[in-house]
This record gives sequence, structure tokens and C-alpha cells, in this order.
Amino acid sequence: MNFDPLNAVLIGVVLLLAVGFYGLLITRNLIKIVLVLQVLVKAVVIALVLAGKDSGNLGLGQSIAATVIVADTVVAVVALALAVQVRIRIGTLDLSKISSLRG
Amino acid sequence: MAAILIGFVIGIPWLGALILWRTNDENPRLQHTLAVAFSIAAGFSSLALIFFSSAQTAVDIPMGAFFGSLTFTPDGLAVSLTAIACVIGSLAVVFSVDYMKGEAQLSRYYTFVLLFIGAMAGLVLSGSLLFMFFFWEITALCSYALISFYNDDPKAVAGGIKALIITQVGGVGLLAGALITYSTLGTYQVSDLLESAGTIPANVLAFIAFGFLIAAAAKSAQFPFHTWLPDAMEAPTPISALIHAATMVNAGVYLLARFYPAFVQVPGWALSVTIVGLVSALITAFMALTATDLKRALAYSTVSQLGYMVYAIGVGGFFASQFHLLSHAVFKALLFLAAGAVIHAAGTRDMRRMGALGKQMPFVRNVFVLGALALAGLPILSGFWSKELILEVGLADGPIWAYVGMLLGAGMTAFYTLRITWLVFFGEARESLHVHDAGFAMKVSLGLLAAGTLSTWLLAGSFSGLFHATLPFHSIHELSTLELTEEIFFAPATYIALTVVCLGLGIFWMVRKQAAARKEAQFDILSRESFGFDWLNRQVTSITFKFASVLQETQTGKLNWNVVGILGALLVVLVFLLWSA
Repeated sequence: MNFDPLNAVLIGVVLLLAVGFYGLLITRNLIKIVLVLQVLVKAVVIALVLAGKDSGNLGLGQSIAATVIVADTVVAVVALALAVQVRIRIGTLDLSKISSLRG
Repeated sequence: MAAILIGFVIGIPWLGALILWRTNDENPRLQHTLAVAFSIAAGFSSLALIFFSSAQTAVDIPMGAFFGSLTFTPDGLAVSLTAIACVIGSLAVVFSVDYMKGEAQLSRYYTFVLLFIGAMAGLVLSGSLLFMFFFWEITALCSYALISFYNDDPKAVAGGIKALIITQVGGVGLLAGALITYSTLGTYQVSDLLESAGTIPANVLAFIAFGFLIAAAAKSAQFPFHTWLPDAMEAPTPISALIHAATMVNAGVYLLARFYPAFVQVPGWALSVTIVGLVSALITAFMALTATDLKRALAYSTVSQLGYMVYAIGVGGFFASQFHLLSHAVFKALLFLAAGAVIHAAGTRDMRRMGALGKQMPFVRNVFVLGALALAGLPILSGFWSKELILEVGLADGPIWAYVGMLLGAGMTAFYTLRITWLVFFGEARESLHVHDAGFAMKVSLGLLAAGTLSTWLLAGSFSGLFHATLPFHSIHELSTLELTEEIFFAPATYIALTVVCLGLGIFWMVRKQAAARKEAQFDILSRESFGFDWLNRQVTSITFKFASVLQETQTGKLNWNVVGILGALLVVLVFLLWSA
């Protein structure tokens, strides 16, 4: 069988996504949620570069990936700041005890 | 020239609305003056526009691929309704100078009135279905805002929301019709739909036709949507006269009249329109028989008269319906404004507390009697000619049971009209209300409308000539006023109807002594509740709310559950992609 090295990257992306989603499903701690989201976004960044390479637009894929990294860093910083505020105001980081999102 | 005038009749009121929005409520004199100036300017522009009417599109602004062109066509139907909206609009604004004296938040009041006048002109002049819908919704929003004008009164707020919801339901019918038209013909233009209605597959055309019928019934408060109009009477009275009697509620009749040539070929459509008109006319005439609130009684009669117009379109009397629309707009605006003068002076809307007010306010009594006689359909007032024309067409071309029903409605109209007039102005005084006659601004607008009630039927000939010249799809015969009056004079239908009207008047005359002191019977309670339709409305809203609270349970606020939802959706998409590949 002729093994394409790009497929190895693809498998890595799927594995990272799986880890991320699994984490989102089971995590209750807000800080850990931010970490898990980072794992998910890293999978997406790799997928972007991979898609760029595969379609012959490597430059485009890389530049979008770089943009995502920047935006994602901002998101992470804000999310961590919010987590700190939640801890100060509500006194817990446990998601199951913070249900103000309830409709 | 027509293009400039069209710009005026829409642009002047909207510019006025913009300016009044920014005015300060501490200077009411400036606000009254500005509103009167802008509305009268629009009124004169609309009258001038009549002389430039044509079947040709006067304004054509391309709006991009998705929206088609914004077009305005000043044909006979459009210019006559524009004139009604702008002229009666300006009279209502003049009336407001006295009626709204000393009220707070006049800026909000006049802004919405002027916004409404411009939108109504745009609605009837628009040659594009999509922009017709746009203007249609603006009129609905203005109506809502003005019904709820006294927003510290929960009844006013509830009435406004009811009107908004029901007319929105109808608006969906119009939007659906417009989008289906676009998807089959590739255009939003009204003239294209009228021209190539025959090429649209029959079932698709039926969807458009019945969608428009729903829109029209909701906007004109026709059965089964007739419950919102009586509750809309919480609005200030000039608003009831302008929006809920003379203009906006006519938009539904206008819609049916505009597309009648295209939809008449849809099987069952004309019959449905006839039945909607008949049922609305009768059911609300019954409600008007027992109403004790002056404005609600007039509102029931408005729905009933709109029912006559809808019925006329159903039996093919396009001209009769538009002629009745014109006369009704004038005499019903007169009745409402006169009622406004009474309410303003007496401080109550309950007719049981009035009585013998005629001696204290002779001018208002005289114009009200004039309007009431026109509503009852007595010669030679405008209402007589148009109603006789409708009944004549109904006898000649419509089913006989519908004609008999409408005849009964005419008798009931005479009965309740005399009842209202008697309870308010004649008989003995039941409470010593100290009232004063109308102020100067009120008298000006009432006097002009009274003159219109006496004279608009003289325009019938030129009205039919205008339609004949500018509406190529409706095949209107041109008749002079003399020919029309001769036709009505020699038709047997006229004398049948007059007999029924006199019968209605006579029956009330015999029971007039009991009219004020009657005990409330089961029938009164039933009719106040719209014969169960108000109950139906409440059921629909409560079911909607219950459904919403059930759906609320799905929003747990737990992140983990949300992720499950997202992953589930992703899975569905993947399965769908694999399955279709």
C-alpha cells in the first residue's frame, strides 16, 4: 500500500479533535475547558495548513493558520480572565454549579 | 412630473416625521404647526398626482440582483388611494391640533402619523411586490405604535400587540406570495404578474392567490382575523379615524382589487373572497347591534363595511368596491372624528352614559347625523350610491344566498347606525355631562369631511374614467356620473335595498325606548367576545407560550450538553454527506 505522509497528518488532526471533544464532554473545571479548547484549535490550525498543502495553496493555508493562532490567543487570554472573575465572584470554577446560561 | 410628485407624497411626510422626531416636547405649538404643514403639503401633492396618472411606471430605481427594481406606478387605483391617505391624513392631523392639545409626547405621536402617511402612499404606489411588502410592514408598525400610544395603559399595549401579531401573520402570506412569484417568473413587478398570470402553473398561482387573500383578510380585519380592529380602538381617536377606518385597513381590499384579474382564474378563489366578505359583514354587524362603547361600535361597522368591499370584489364588482372604499373612507373618517369630538368633550366612550348631547354640541351632531345617514345608505349621500352599486352587482353576478345575506347586513347597518346616533345625541340625558362643542381645528376637518360625504359620489364618473384609462388588466367600462345614477335609479335592487334599510330604521324606532336601559343578555356577552374568536385567539397564544416553555427545558445551561448537541449535529451532517455520496 502506498502510504501518503499527508494521511498521517490527517490522522493526527482527527486524534487531536477527538481528544478535544472528549475533554469538552467530560470537563467541569473552567480552566481545563480553556486548555481543551486550545487542543481543539491546534487541531484546526494543523488542518488548515494541511488543506493548504493539499489544494496547492500552501501560502494561503499558512497565513490563515497564523491569523487563527493570533485570534485564538486573544480568546484564551480573555477566557482565562473571565474564569478568574467567575472564581472571585461566584467562588467556584465548577461548571455544574454555574448555570446562569439556563434558558 | 409624476416622478417628482411621487417623491413628494412619500418624501414630504417622511421628512416631516424625521424633523418631528427631533423636536422638543416642550414646544407643542411648533410641533402642531410642523405636522399640519407637512401633512397638508403631502395632501396637495397627492391631489396634483391624480392629474398625472398613467399606466406607465414613473420611477424605476434598480436595487441589485436580489431585490429587483424599486418601481412606482401612478395608475388610477394607486393615485386615488394615495389621495385618500394623504388628504384624510392631513385632516386627521388638523383635528389632532385640538384633540391632542395638552398631551405629552407629541413628538412620538406626530412622527408615527407622518411615517404612516408616507408608507401608505408608498404601499399603494409601489409597482414591486417586495417593496409593497416593505411599506406594508411599515404601516403595520406605525399602527402598532399608535394603538399603544398611551403606553401606561395595559389595554392599549395589549391591543397594539394583538394588532401587530395578527397583521404580521397576514404579512407572511404577502411575503410568501411575492417570493413564489419571484421563483416562478423571476421578477417582483406587479405588472409582470398581472400580464403573465396565465403562464404560471395553476397550483402555484393558487398558492399566491390564497397567500394574498390571507394577507388581505388580516390587514382589513376580515373573518377570521376580525378581532384585532375593535381592540385597536384604544388608540387616540384621530388615529382610529385615519389608520383604522380610512386608510390602512383598506390596504387589504386594495391588494385583492389590484390582483383580481390575475387570481380570478384560480378555482374557488372568487368564491372564498365572497364568503370572507359575507361572513365578516354579517358577524360584525351583529356585534355592532349590542356594542356599548362608541368607538367599538364604529369599529365593528368598519369591519362590516370592509366586508361589503371584499364581497364586491368576490362577485366581480371591482369598480363598485373601490367606489365604496372612497365613500366609506370619507364618511367613516367623519364619523370617527365626530365621535372623537364627543369623547374629548364627554370624557367617556360609554354610550349608555351619554344621551341628548346634541343640544350642547349642535355642530358635531349635524355632521355625525350626515355621516350616519351615509353609513346607513340613504340617498343622496355618498354611501347610498356605492352600497347600491355593490348590491346591484351582487344580485346580477353573485350567488343569491350571498346577496340575501348582504341585504340583511344592510338592514342591520341601518339599525345600529340609528342606535348609535340616538344613544349619543338624542333621547333623554342619562347623566348630566357638561360638554362643549368642537374647537376650531376640529370644525375645519369635520366640515370638510361632511362636504365630502355630500359630494364624493359626483366624482364617480371621473373615477371610472380614471380606472378605464390607466388599468389595462381590469377592463373597466367608462360611465359618466349621470349614467351611473340612472343605472342605480332604475335598478330594482335599489328599491329592495332601500326597503330593507327603512325596515331596519323602523325597527329601531320602535324599540328606541329600551335601547339604553337594556339588561345585558347572553347574546351581548357572546358578541362582545367576537362569538368565540377572542377565546380562540387566547388559546393560540397560550399554546404558543406553553410550547416555548417546553422548549426552554432543552436549554440546560450546561456546557457538556451543548457539546453533545454540537457533536450530534456534526454526526448528522457527516451521515448525510456519506449517504448522498
